[in-house]
Amino acid sequence: MKRNILTVVIGAVLILIFALLLFVFQVRQSEVAVVTTFGKPVRNLTEPGAYFKWPWPVQKVYKFDQRVQNFEDKFSENLTADNNNLLTSVYVGWKISDAAAFFPKFAGGSVPAAQRMLESMLRSAKSAVVGKHPLADFVNANPQDLKFDAIEGEIESAVQSELRTNQCGIEIEFLGIKKLGLPESVAQTVFTRMTSERQVLISKLQYAGEAEAQKIKSAADRQAAETIADADAAATRIRGEGEAEAAKTLPVFQQNPELANFLLRIGALQQSLNQRSTLIFDERTPPFDLFQHMPTNSPSQQP
Amino acid sequence: MSDGHDHHDHGHSAQLAREDAGSQALAEALRSSFAIVKIVMLLMVVAFFSSGFFQVGPQEKAVILRFGKPVGEGQKALLTSGLHWSFPYPIDEVVKIPITEIQKVSSTVGWYFTTPEQELSGEEPSAGLSLDPAVDGYVITADRNIIHTRATLYYHIDDPIRFVFDFESASNTVQNALDNSLLFTAAKFNVDDILTRDVAGFHDAVLQRVSDLTEQEQLGIVIDQCEVQSIPPRQLADVFAQVTDARENRNKLLNDAHSYENQVLLESGAQASSITNLAESARARYVESLTAEAKRFSDLLPQYEGNPSLFAQQTLIAAMSGILTNVQDKIFLPQRADGKPRELRLMLNREPPEPKPANP
Repeated sequence: MKRNILTVVIGAVLILIFALLLFVFQVRQSEVAVVTTFGKPVRNLTEPGAYFKWPWPVQKVYKFDQRVQNFEDKFSENLTADNNNLLTSVYVGWKISDAAAFFPKFAGGSVPAAQRMLESMLRSAKSAVVGKHPLADFVNANPQDLKFDAIEGEIESAVQSELRTNQCGIEIEFLGIKKLGLPESVAQTVFTRMTSERQVLISKLQYAGEAEAQKIKSAADRQAAETIADADAAATRIRGEGEAEAAKTLPVFQQNPELANFLLRIGALQQSLNQRSTLIFDERTPPFDLFQHMPTNSPSQQP
Repeated sequence: MSDGHDHHDHGHSAQLAREDAGSQALAEALRSSFAIVKIVMLLMVVAFFSSGFFQVGPQEKAVILRFGKPVGEGQKALLTSGLHWSFPYPIDEVVKIPITEIQKVSSTVGWYFTTPEQELSGEEPSAGLSLDPAVDGYVITADRNIIHTRATLYYHIDDPIRFVFDFESASNTVQNALDNSLLFTAAKFNVDDILTRDVAGFHDAVLQRVSDLTEQEQLGIVIDQCEVQSIPPRQLADVFAQVTDARENRNKLLNDAHSYENQVLLESGAQASSITNLAESARARYVESLTAEAKRFSDLLPQYEGNPSLFAQQTLIAAMSGILTNVQDKIFLPQRADGKPRELRLMLNREPPEPKPANP
């Protein structure tokens, strides 16, 4: 009896497992799924988990990768608004947002087919948007005039609206320019222009360097002259101050101007006859007046 | 009948005995094989459940998908390193994600064409006359110059669930963002800023743009580091080098000028302070001497007032004697006896005249 129960339980479990395999399917975290009944989509599953279905051939499950996929279009040439040939390539992060819409649109939900459609949409969106902008909108040192982000946004919204009207079940998460280029012949002329710009820069650097060095040197000279002139002025002022200070001693001398005059003259005499001087005098000059009236025989004369 | 019965009986019992032995052997065999099956089943059950054990390394995290759905929400779904258990497939599925490991993407969208072998050996492919846009990459700068620039981005995964389950190839998406950042930033910068004047600014702007993009796209990564390298096109390498030379030359000129400036200013400063110092000392000397004069005057005044002419004579004679000792030549001319004026000839040139060479 006991064995019978065990057998029944095991049998039941086996049947259950078999039934589960037939009737249940999983949708992974990164997937979306469509359930078709005799080929007609009936259920759209976006949440991960285990779901019930009728076994084949009644119902069939199509699973799609729901993650953001990368797609880059071909590097293609368009004319900008100011008639420059510009090659552009953009990358798109797209994902399947509505499997029920995606599935019938592209034979059995083929991703390459979806990419082909994206490619053609991108091509027309790009040529429309690039044609509206001059090259200065793509490259510009002035952040206000640079329309890089705006151009990306315009391409994205053009593709986005195209996708919406076509109801493809595809959503664009982000879009950016991946590559910019110029045709080979244009690159050649750019090189020529760059070379001449460099040469202008070289001569400018040489000239400017010399001029600037000269400026620095002359400024230094001027400043040095100014410093010395200032110092001279200060010296004059200092001397003047000294004289003013000395003038305070004037009243002392004014007590007896005669004596002062006399002393001054003696001082001057002493100073002027200090060195390397020849003095010629006669007997009237003191203290040689002592020689006066002395008999002189011969005249004294320097050789 | 009875005989037959007997016989039958006999036969029956013999058959029974035979059957008994057979079934017994069969039962025996069944039992033993049943035991083996049981053991095997038990082992299989054990194996089934123990196959659910798995290990998560120190540099990774793991997520268990139960019927395709992550167990736990957000960060709680992440299993850290250690031993874990999950139901075996098809109930649970373990997804391992490297997390602390630094990932790396490189952008060569703005670089000329090289093969990895050439890159490794440091060999340069020959530069053509122009750049073929289909092969050689480059970026266009704000002043419409063409230059090459490439970048390598190092990052690690911060939100593994987003990184793995929301992007088919997140590293490609990161690379696209890096490509775009290089293009976008180059379009904002002038060629000289990128190459020489503001290399760090360009690098920071690229990093800023790529962080913004990856954040906007919610890639769930954290950027660690970004390396940017920019060079002028190889076709114009010479002329760019000349600019660098010219710039260095200019810097040298400026440096020289600055050192001249320093020297001149220092010298003039020194000279100025010596001028003012001299003036100061002259002033001090002057004031001092005058003060001394005044003092002497005050001292002499009473003597002078006592007898002015005597004092004058005394002082004069004292001065004269002082003067006469200092004077080099002294000529005394006594009056001629007849009172007539004397004639005196003076050779004013004190130095003895040099012997002149004979005139030719």
